[in-house]
Amino acid sequence: MQIELELNGRQRTFDAAKSDVLLDVLRRNGYTGPKRGCDTGACGFCTVRIDGDPRMSCVTPVAKVDGASVETIEGLGDQNDLHPIQAAFVDNSALQCGFCIPGMIMRSKALLEENPDPTETEVREALSDNLCRCTGYKKIVEAVLDAADRMNGDAPMAADGGAGAVDCEAPPWSQGGGDTE
Amino acid sequence: MSDPEGSASENERPDGHRAEEAVETDAFPGESEEGESDRTPGEEREHLTEDVEKDDARKIVTGEARYTADYRDRFPDLAAGKVIRSDIAHGYVEAVDASEAEAMDGVYAVVTPWDDVVPDKAYSSSGQSYPEPSPWDMRVLREHVRFVGDPVAAVAARDAETADRAARKVTVEYEELEPVLDPERATDPDAPRIFDPDEVENKQSGADYERNLESRFEGEIGDVERAFERADDDRVVETEWETPYQSHCVPEPHTTIAYTDEDDRHSFITATQVPFHTRRQIAHLFDVPVRDVRVTKPRIGAGFGAKQEMAIEPIAFALHLAAERPVKLEMSRREEFYALRFRHPMRMRMKTAVSDDGRIEAMDLYTLSNAGAYGTHGMTVANNVGTKPLPLYPRVPNVRFEGDVVHTNLPMGAAMRGYGAPQGHFAVESHMDEVARRLDLDPVEFRERNAVREGDVDRSVAILKDGDRFTREIRSCGLRECIERGKEAIGYDETEQPDEDRLYRGVGMALLAQGSGVAGRELGAVRIRMNEDGSFHLQVGGVDTGTGADTMFGQIAAEVLGCHPDDIVVIASDTDLTPFDYGAYASSTTYISGEAVKEAAEEARERLLHWGAKMLDEPADRLATGGGEVYSEATGESVTLEDVGYEATYGHDEREQVLGDGSHSTDESPPPYGAQFVDVTVDEETGEYEINEMVFAADCGVAINPALVEGQIEGGEHMSLEYATSGGLEFDDEGNPEVLGFRQYGMPRTTDHPPMETIIVETHEPTGPFGAKSIAELPTNGVPPALSNAIRDAVGVRVTELPITADDVRAALDERDR
Ligand code: FES
Ligand code: FES
Repeated sequence: MQIELELNGRQRTFDAAKSDVLLDVLRRNGYTGPKRGCDTGACGFCTVRIDGDPRMSCVTPVAKVDGASVETIEGLGDQNDLHPIQAAFVDNSALQCGFCIPGMIMRSKALLEENPDPTETEVREALSDNLCRCTGYKKIVEAVLDAADRMNGDAPMAADGGAGAVDCEAPPWSQGGGDTE
Repeated sequence: MSDPEGSASENERPDGHRAEEAVETDAFPGESEEGESDRTPGEEREHLTEDVEKDDARKIVTGEARYTADYRDRFPDLAAGKVIRSDIAHGYVEAVDASEAEAMDGVYAVVTPWDDVVPDKAYSSSGQSYPEPSPWDMRVLREHVRFVGDPVAAVAARDAETADRAARKVTVEYEELEPVLDPERATDPDAPRIFDPDEVENKQSGADYERNLESRFEGEIGDVERAFERADDDRVVETEWETPYQSHCVPEPHTTIAYTDEDDRHSFITATQVPFHTRRQIAHLFDVPVRDVRVTKPRIGAGFGAKQEMAIEPIAFALHLAAERPVKLEMSRREEFYALRFRHPMRMRMKTAVSDDGRIEAMDLYTLSNAGAYGTHGMTVANNVGTKPLPLYPRVPNVRFEGDVVHTNLPMGAAMRGYGAPQGHFAVESHMDEVARRLDLDPVEFRERNAVREGDVDRSVAILKDGDRFTREIRSCGLRECIERGKEAIGYDETEQPDEDRLYRGVGMALLAQGSGVAGRELGAVRIRMNEDGSFHLQVGGVDTGTGADTMFGQIAAEVLGCHPDDIVVIASDTDLTPFDYGAYASSTTYISGEAVKEAAEEARERLLHWGAKMLDEPADRLATGGGEVYSEATGESVTLEDVGYEATYGHDEREQVLGDGSHSTDESPPPYGAQFVDVTVDEETGEYEINEMVFAADCGVAINPALVEGQIEGGEHMSLEYATSGGLEFDDEGNPEVLGFRQYGMPRTTDHPPMETIIVETHEPTGPFGAKSIAELPTNGVPPALSNAIRDAVGVRVTELPITADDVRAALDERDR
């Protein structure tokens, strides 16, 4: 069968088997940002957004996204033009092996669009379906709170790698246009 | 928001003697600035103790980082593999019927233990040095199955779905044998025997397969029995401890792609911590020359020891040979939870005698380790139960340590971050707290009196070895500062009790130690080569498992060469492209591979100075490197590294490529130290408890990249928190696994984590690169003992088994009140 969807803002058509889940179809077509950690909806590594909502793509039958709008990590910024959430993860050293990170960032993006100024408890609750084995979550939670500040324009933006370093030139995305949606 | 422990506050770190002089990395454009020429490399740090951005951070956040499974697009005809595993705990495979599977459309091959492409050879999957200190007791596919999950056969097919379906069509007939699941029962003379002695080669010390003993070991310093006899009875304390299985929960399941390239070389892209050991082991197993095997590690979704194993590469390779096309084998999460590798469950006994003035006179530790079905890392992990924590108390004159490593028909233990030390610290550090409380001593003061100090000579680390080659002198130890700062951070002296009657609050502490590599059993090698534009390629065998090792390598090289870390291209962990390395395990990467980087960079720097001398017309010994230049202290003259690069490469009368090699090995393994504090509130009625806060203070020598060090500590504490509170596997009485996914397994989530504070106490380890020791494993050791001690502090009861549940606490309270 053929699946038509809007993927990261572009209309796409993919061949798929009925039994395919969205994760399979994405990965087969080169969208390998979403990771396979369990295939049972229990780790969050495959999190993407479907019509804005965070969803585990490994348990989403592909037929369900026909006509939907899907956003993956590939739709955010690129390495020299990071989205504020990506930049906050980099600057807060909120990643190690990185296997959970694409899912974490997509989940965080959904949170921050819905709740632009979350408390730490709200961040922890929103991310509680996304596992991370490496970081102890501390820097991830800090990164999401930092990203909220950046997106609200009340923090210096410094994708320079120094955790919390300041006084840097604003990177290009701060002039707007980082988000592909 | 700014991280209170991050670089923003770096300059205020009370311990950072040199931090205030650190140069902002981004302020360094590589161009000469005024006043720069009086900088003396080695005394200041340009790129060390800096939170230099992790070199793969941007590709990770954009989803571009490629892990093994992401390489599928390189292989248009890539087949998918699937393993058929034993569903009985003990027995012999009598027949495998694969006819139906083989007839299926899209199935390329089914392999069984009797296939020609499957080696019929005993080996060990442990990614250790040669010959492995682990018995060669397993085969690629197994006729004699020893646990539910043993690989029996495998399928290669067009895609994963077809491979799955085909695997379900393969039927296996067994002759069932009685399993043995309890390690104490396993050593009975009439217990079922799991190995015939002739099924095992390279047996380890004390092996007795008639009693299911993989190994038995003992070591003694002084005379422990006599010390106990002489001690007052009421100053001798004995305790017992038990720990469960723990899953690595490795984020990226074991995944490998096996193929043969156009030069007929056998190649792997694989999620491994040990590319060079894997290369050797594949060569031995399949009887091909080492040079014809290539192992490449791409980004990997962490390892934690699970990938210090050649766990699936041989099956993938056999499938590749049979299917005659590239094969990808990717484990499912379910397989990770029952068939791959785990932390060894243990039962431990600890006994000490204490003098009237509070000195420990004797320590006696025994461990019974459940190796499970195979012996990979069995003896060495059990060894570390004693040789990691006992060195916290090196002045104790009488020490004994013994262990039995026993096979059962359960999943095999293997390397897991901490490597026996988490079990050992639970026993030793909970015990020490119990001793202090029973003798009416303050547990922290008792520790401070007896614990290791700089200048101590530590024999207990080598208690299982002959001679004193591995006796070590402690040259750096910040343990007392860890204790002091940890106490202050957790509010040790001012714990306020909750208002509610049934709630009690307590604080517990545990001291921790680890090593930095395996003493006398490491080798790391590096080559640095200069490009004409003043940049460098750094080829390093060391393995970044996600920790940021590649970044740290770049920082060390940049520090020596005097360039910016961005000017170093790190090429790592490819057996064709990089020098040799033992791999990422035993907390060796910074200490061993990092030192090799430093040596290589120093050699290259000599050549930079040679060229600088020529170009500046000054003797080399008056020159230095820094700020992207070779410069003269005396004259203030300088040439850029780019000028040097072009001159050396294209010079008129003399040319050379600036190169530097490093190859590092040592008998040293200096311990990093730590103090874990846990603040807990216990409900005396229900036994429920809540951790209010955890503080970890670490002495890892000089923290080359503090943000990455903090990440190691916080992630290590996460695993340790799980071990203390929620981990563990269950099996039914036939050995069938009952925990098969994240939903049943208690891996802590964002909402399960208490607030954590991290303190880095800087010391300088003279044998480490720029004063560094290790950090990766140390923080996995602390929460179980600190929590057990905190509960003891809060309500006066001792919990001795992990994970600590409300029921355990309730039961201990009932016991107390009886
Ligand atoms: S892979 Fe989808 S939730 Fe784990
Ligand atoms: S960074 Fe490794 S799982 Fe999160």
